[in-house]
Amino acid sequence: MQFLNARSAAAWAAIALAAGSAAAGELAAPQGTPVLAIDGAISETNDGSRAVFDLAMLEALPAASFETSTSWTEGVQSFTGVTLAALMEAVGATGTGLRAAAINDYAVDIPAGDWVAGGPIVAYLRNGETMSIRDKGPLWIIYPFDGNPEYQSEVIYSRSIWQLDRITVTE
Amino acid sequence: MSELLGRQRNRSRFLTGVTVFALALCLGLVAGLGWVVKRQLTELESASSDNLQWTLSQAEVEYLRMTLAIERAADGTGSLSEARRRFDVLYSRMATLESSTAFDALRADPGLAESLQRIREFLEGGVPLVDGSDAGLRNAMPELVPAAAALEPDIRALGLEGLAIFTELSDSRRDQLVRTLLLMAGVLGVLLCGLVLVAGILLGLARNSSRRSREALETAERLRTIVETSLDAIIVTDAAGIIREFNPAAEKVFGLARSEARGRVAAELILPEESARELSGGLLAFWDEDRRPSPEERHFELAARHSSGRVFPAEFTIDRAEQDEGPVFVAVIRDISGRKAAEAGLTQARDRALAGERAKAEFLAVMSHEMRTPLNGLLGTMELLRDHSLTETQSDLLDRMQSSGRLLLGLVNDVLDLAKFEAGKMRSEVRPFSVDRLVEGVVETAAPLAAANGNTLSWSWTGPSVDAVLGDPRRLRQVLLNLVGNAVKFTRGGSVELEVEAVGPQGAELEFRVIDTGIGIAEEHMDRIFEDFETLDSSYAREAGGTGLGLGIARRLVRLMGGEIGAESEPGEGSLFWLRVPVRPIDEAPETAAPARPARPAPRKPLDLLLVEDNEINRFVARAMLEAEGHKVTEAVNGRIGVDCAAAHRFDAILMDISMPEMDGPEAARLIRAGSGASARVPIIAVTAHALPEEIATFREAGMDACISKPLEREVLMETLARIGSGGLAPAAVMPGPARMIARSNRTQSQAAWKTMAVGKRWQLRPDTVFIRDGRVQIIRLAIGAGQPDNSAGGAS
Repeated sequence: MQFLNARSAAAWAAIALAAGSAAAGELAAPQGTPVLAIDGAISETNDGSRAVFDLAMLEALPAASFETSTSWTEGVQSFTGVTLAALMEAVGATGTGLRAAAINDYAVDIPAGDWVAGGPIVAYLRNGETMSIRDKGPLWIIYPFDGNPEYQSEVIYSRSIWQLDRITVTE
Repeated sequence: MSELLGRQRNRSRFLTGVTVFALALCLGLVAGLGWVVKRQLTELESASSDNLQWTLSQAEVEYLRMTLAIERAADGTGSLSEARRRFDVLYSRMATLESSTAFDALRADPGLAESLQRIREFLEGGVPLVDGSDAGLRNAMPELVPAAAALEPDIRALGLEGLAIFTELSDSRRDQLVRTLLLMAGVLGVLLCGLVLVAGILLGLARNSSRRSREALETAERLRTIVETSLDAIIVTDAAGIIREFNPAAEKVFGLARSEARGRVAAELILPEESARELSGGLLAFWDEDRRPSPEERHFELAARHSSGRVFPAEFTIDRAEQDEGPVFVAVIRDISGRKAAEAGLTQARDRALAGERAKAEFLAVMSHEMRTPLNGLLGTMELLRDHSLTETQSDLLDRMQSSGRLLLGLVNDVLDLAKFEAGKMRSEVRPFSVDRLVEGVVETAAPLAAANGNTLSWSWTGPSVDAVLGDPRRLRQVLLNLVGNAVKFTRGGSVELEVEAVGPQGAELEFRVIDTGIGIAEEHMDRIFEDFETLDSSYAREAGGTGLGLGIARRLVRLMGGEIGAESEPGEGSLFWLRVPVRPIDEAPETAAPARPARPAPRKPLDLLLVEDNEINRFVARAMLEAEGHKVTEAVNGRIGVDCAAAHRFDAILMDISMPEMDGPEAARLIRAGSGASARVPIIAVTAHALPEEIATFREAGMDACISKPLEREVLMETLARIGSGGLAPAAVMPGPARMIARSNRTQSQAAWKTMAVGKRWQLRPDTVFIRDGRVQIIRLAIGAGQPDNSAGGAS
C-alpha cells in the first residue's frame, strides 16, 4: 500500500512536473544520453526545432503499462512506457500524424487518430527492464494488441516499431 | 397396413439419418479444411507481413553500415559511438534472424547455419570490445576491420540463399494451399452433390406427400360426399360414446341438428332407456372389451328414439376404426319402420292365407269324416240286412248299394289321405314284417276284382327271396293295392303279375313290379299319371271311376318311405309299374296272427255286454250284430254314463268307443279300472279307428285289454267276444304289443273277407284298407280338429 502510495505520489509529481513544463512553454534539456528526438509540427522544443528526450525525461512523463503478445516476441510480454498521446501533448504536437523512424532507418507512419488514451505507448521497459540496442531497444512503439481487438490487424502491426530513435510530426 | 406404413417410416428414418450423417461429415470436412486454409493463409500473411526479404536485405544493409562505421572509426573519420551503435543494430538484427520462427527454414540449411555461426562468432567476439573502453576499442580496430570485412560472403549468402529458400518455401506453401483448396473444392463438390441429392429426395418426398395429401383430400371429399348423401344415418363416436360426426341423414332420422348432437353421448341421445339397457346387457360387449366387433356382432336391430320421443325400430351396423387419437366407432343406422310394417303386413297376410288353407283343409277333413260316419252306418246296416231273408232281386240291389257305398268310401278316403299329406301329418313307420305275407294279402284283396275282369293275378319272387325286413308295411300295402288295383281295373281278360326282387347291396331295397297286359298308357301321358286329379280319358277310366288321386297318393307314400316309383308302358301292350323302397333285412319276421282261422267257436255263451258309443247308428249296428248272436247289450252314450253303468252292474265285457263327448274312452276305462265298481275288473275292448301303435299303447295304459277296429266286422267282433266268453281274453295275451295286435287284426279281417268272397259273395269291403284309412282319418281329425267341440267330431269314432 505504501509502495502504491509512493508510486502514486511519484506519478502525481511527474504529472505536475510535466504540466508545469508544458505550462512553462519549454522543455528541459536532457541530462543523460538522448534516446529520442522529436521534430516537425511541435510547439515545445529544447534543441533548436527539436525536442530531445533522455530516458529520465520519458520516465517522468505519465507512464502506462500493459501486457500483450506480439508477432516478434515469444509469449506474453509486459511493456511500460509513456503513451504516445501524452508524449505528443508534451511536445505540443499539432500535426495529423507522425513518422517514427528506427536506428536502422526503418520508418512507419502513425496517424494522429491513434494518439489516444489506451492507445499505443512508447515503451522503455520490457518485462520490467530497459532494452539495449542489441535487444531491439531502447524504445518501441507498441500497441496493446491483446487488450483491444481492433488493434489485431496487419495495418496496426505494421505501425509498431522497435529501436525507435526519432519521430517527425507531420502537418 | 399399419405395419407396412411403420416399415416405410422406419426406412425413411434410416435414410434420413444416413443422409444427415453424411452431410454433417462433409460439413465437418469443409470446416476442417477451411481452418487449415485459414492457418496457411495466416502463415502466408505473416511471412509477407514480417517481410522476410526486407529483413534479410536489411541485415546486409546494416552489416555494410557497421563495416563502414568501423572503418571510419579506425581511420578517425568516424566516431566510436557510431561504430558501437551500428554493431548493436546488426547484433539485434541477427538475434532476430536466429530466434524468430520465421527463419526456421533458414537455420535448417546447413550452409546458412555455418554462415550464421560465423556471424555469431564475430558478434560475440566483438561484444567485449564494443562494451569496453574507447581506448580498448580503438586499439582493436585493426583486427576488427578485416574480421568484419571477412563476413561479407556469409551475409551475402544469407541474402541470396535465404531469398531462394523463402521463395521455395513460399512456393511450397502456395502449392500446399492450392492442394488444400482443391481438396476443399472436392469436398465441397461432394457436399454439393449430396445437397443436390438430398434436395432431389426432398423434392420427391414433397411431391409424394403432396400427391398423397391430394389423394387423401380427394378420398376424404369422396367419403364426405358419401356420408352426406347417405340415406342411412351415420354417426361416428369416440371410445367414450361421444358423438363426433352426425351426417344429414342422421339429422333427419333423429330430428337433431348436427351441432346439437356433437359432443353428446350417443346412447343417451338416440336410444330409449330400454334399448340402452339392452346394449349394456351384451350387444356392445366388444365396446367394453375394447376390441373390434366380430362380423356377427356388427349387425343388430334395436329400438331407437327420435328427438320428438317417438321410438322406432332401427337396424344398426357398427364397426370400429383405429385412429391416431384412439379408436372410433362408426354406426350406420337405418330406420326400418317401413320394412317392419311391411313384414308385419306380410306375416299377417301369410297367417290369413294359412288360416284360410287350414280352414279349407279342416272343412275338407271334417266333411270327409262326417261323410264317413253315415257311410259306415249304411254299410254296416246293409251287412245286417243280409241276415234277413232276401229275394234275389233284393240281394242284387243290396249288392249294388254296397258297391256304390264302397266306391264312395274309397273316394272319401282318398281325399282324406291327400288332406293329411297336405297337412304334413303323415309319418313313415319302421317295424318288422313279412314280405311274403304282405304281398299275399295284396293279391288276395285284389283277387276278386281281377276275377271279375277275367284276369289272372299272381305274384312271385325274382331271385332269392327276402322275407323278413324292417319297413313300413302299411304304406307299402296301400301303394301295392293301388297299383295292383289299377292293373286289374285297366285289364280285361289278361294277366296281372306282381314281381318282387331284392335289389341293392345286401338286399337293402325291395323292388316291386306290377306288370299287366292291359290297355297301356300313351307316351305323352306318362309324365302326368302321378299328378293329382289326373284321370286319363279312357273308357276304362270312366268306367272305373275314381278321383285320380290314387297314383299321386302312391307317389307321396313311396317318397315318404324314401323310395321311388315309376312306370313304363306300351299302349295296347300293357304297363309296368315299379316301385323301389329301402328296407332292412332282418333274421325273422314277427309272429303274426293265428294261422288259419278256426271255425267259428261254438257253442257260445251269451254275454252281458256294455256298449259305450256316442254315435247312434254305430250303436244300432253293434247292438244288432251282438243281439243277433244272442248277447245282451246295455248302451251308454258317452264315457261318463259308461263309467256309471260299469259301477252299477257287473258286465261280462265292455265295448268302449274311444272318441266321445263328455268323457272319452281311455279316460272312462281309467276311471273304471281305478274305481271299485261292479265291473272294475272285466275286460274292456276298445272299438276304434285309432290304429297307430302309440295310440294303442295309450289304450293299454288306460286299462283296456283288446282293440277292434271300426266299422265293426261281425266276424271279428264275434271272435273276440267268443274268446272272452271262453275266458281266452287274458289281457297279456290279447294286447302283447301294438304291432302284433294290428297285424293280427288286419290279417283276420282280410282272411275273413277272402273267406266271404270264396263262398260266393260278389262284393267285399276291403277291410284292410278301410281299417288303415280309417285309422288315418282319425289321426287327421284329431290333429286338425283339436279345439273343436267334441260333439262335432266325435260321432265317427
